[in-house]
Amino acid sequence: MLPDPSSPPATRGVWSRFRRRPVASISLSFVAFICLVALAAPLVTGPGRFALVHFRPDTIDLGHRLTSPSHEHWLGTDDLGRDLLSRMIHGARVSLAVGLAATFISLVIGSLFGALAGYYGGTIDWCISRLIELVLCFPFLLLVLAIVALFEPSLWTIMIALGLTSWTSEARYVRGEFLRLREEEFAVAARAGGAGDLRIITRHLLPNALAPVLVSASFGVAYAIIVESSLSFLGFGVPLPAPTWGAMLATSEEYLGHAWWLALFPGLAIFSTVIAFNLIGDGFRQALDPQE
Amino acid sequence: MTSYLTRRLAYAIVTFFGITIAIFILIHAVPGDPVSMYAARYGPRSLSRAVLQEIRHRHHLDRPLIMQYGWWLRGVLSLDFGPSVMDGVPVIERIGQRLPNTILLNAVSLLLAAVVGIPMGIFGAAGKRRGGSASSATFLLLYSLPTFWVALLLMRTFSVDHQWLPLYGMTSDDYLLLSPAARIGDRLLHMVLPVVTLTLGQLAMFARFSRASVEEVIGQDYIIAARARGVAPGSLLWQHALRNALIPLITLFGLTVPYLISGSVIVERIFQWDGIGRLYIISILTRDYPTVLGLTVVTAVMTLMASVGADLLYAFADPRIRLDGSADAS
Repeated sequence: MLPDPSSPPATRGVWSRFRRRPVASISLSFVAFICLVALAAPLVTGPGRFALVHFRPDTIDLGHRLTSPSHEHWLGTDDLGRDLLSRMIHGARVSLAVGLAATFISLVIGSLFGALAGYYGGTIDWCISRLIELVLCFPFLLLVLAIVALFEPSLWTIMIALGLTSWTSEARYVRGEFLRLREEEFAVAARAGGAGDLRIITRHLLPNALAPVLVSASFGVAYAIIVESSLSFLGFGVPLPAPTWGAMLATSEEYLGHAWWLALFPGLAIFSTVIAFNLIGDGFRQALDPQE
Repeated sequence: MTSYLTRRLAYAIVTFFGITIAIFILIHAVPGDPVSMYAARYGPRSLSRAVLQEIRHRHHLDRPLIMQYGWWLRGVLSLDFGPSVMDGVPVIERIGQRLPNTILLNAVSLLLAAVVGIPMGIFGAAGKRRGGSASSATFLLLYSLPTFWVALLLMRTFSVDHQWLPLYGMTSDDYLLLSPAARIGDRLLHMVLPVVTLTLGQLAMFARFSRASVEEVIGQDYIIAARARGVAPGSLLWQHALRNALIPLITLFGLTVPYLISGSVIVERIFQWDGIGRLYIISILTRDYPTVLGLTVVTAVMTLMASVGADLLYAFADPRIRLDGSADAS
């Protein structure tokens, strides 16, 4: 067997270089931890055997409204006496689901358009470039707000609206990579060997173009989480009573004077998750560029 | 140069029509037509079928889609988005009243972000060998701060705990009783927190962009040649590299406009600043679709104009484009 011609050395060793960066590795572990907690949210909160937090996110306890962090409620309670930590753990599910799903959608759309534009060039490239320019003309948050508001907010609407509007940077990355890769020897060789366009695009070029796109996707998850929590904050997120980090901050606005924990902890959750994804993206970017 | 200009402008016109078509499609993708929606608002049986048909006819809603688009486009081109559902005032007038407030807020914070962010980026690039990844992490830190969280923390610290600055609004309640000098002071005080919030959001963008730009120029042959000739590192950076490194920043001013508008929505909502961002949120909450559409068109066209303007300025500033004209406009 000949070695697989579709993996040029550029992407080799990226993973090991990435792991050697402490900041990037810590960020990746942090994101893995948050994902694990989010997945296990129904198990670790509530009365069950594995529970770490002995309160369900939606148990209202009007006797303990707005209590500050204590031995019982580690991060305090909200305006209805619900445990803040329990709600934050469940809020992670919404933020991560939206962030990852929206980025996946934009990755698929962006790769498709970017691949077509970069591989074929000419008229197709011109039309896709105009389409990208068009999408970039709409202020992102306004467009997403309009779509979400017109089609009733739900987890699905938000994921799809974000995915449909944020694929442009992925498309540009893939297009750039394709312009470069299609002239490389292995691509020319595949073409000379009689491989069809579809095979060259999907088997030879796309796998090699994906590494730089991962950088963009990582930043994309971070941005999608910020936008999701902004939407929830503005009242256009996943509808109440679902616990979302953004909606918790919106509640905190009314109690800004006394309930400091309501404003601090959910914001910290958004900030730390977003910066972890950004640092992972930055780590990948530097690992891909051995000069640095 | 001329061919570049005409091509760029021709693309802009294509994009403008693209914008109008995209918005038109978005309106028509929404389930339910506007007339039934109005009827539902005023009670299901308040309007007879004949009346509804008459309203549809008067607003051309019974014509083919392509003709409806023509009518709508004519309105857009004459800046006529119809009256607001809320108070009957023409949409364009409502936007015009609030746009200066938004521009004031954003111009000040953009300027501040540039004045602080660009030197941060340059020093970040200059000190790369020493603490490069540290400055990169600082920029990412700033970049990852959610605007509304920053606003809440600033409000709590400066307005609730210490009451040094007003919590929200554009003026105090007793504004009309103040002397002219005190009025200016009052307005400035109300601007501080929104401006700081917006600036923090923009700062990282300027710092990252200018750092990347300086780093790219430093790697070029003419800088390496200058270093080989023995030019001092300081003068290499500030005199040789900077001139060329700052030209791409022109495009950044064009690119930030959509981010500024998105940021305004959040900041104006939190600080109750009476600009177009707050108007947008209120219009969406009250289902005032003429205003929502008008604002969508106006902000998209503003973004397009900023990006075209930045590209043209860039073409004038960069001799490679100014002199040969073969640069790619896409």
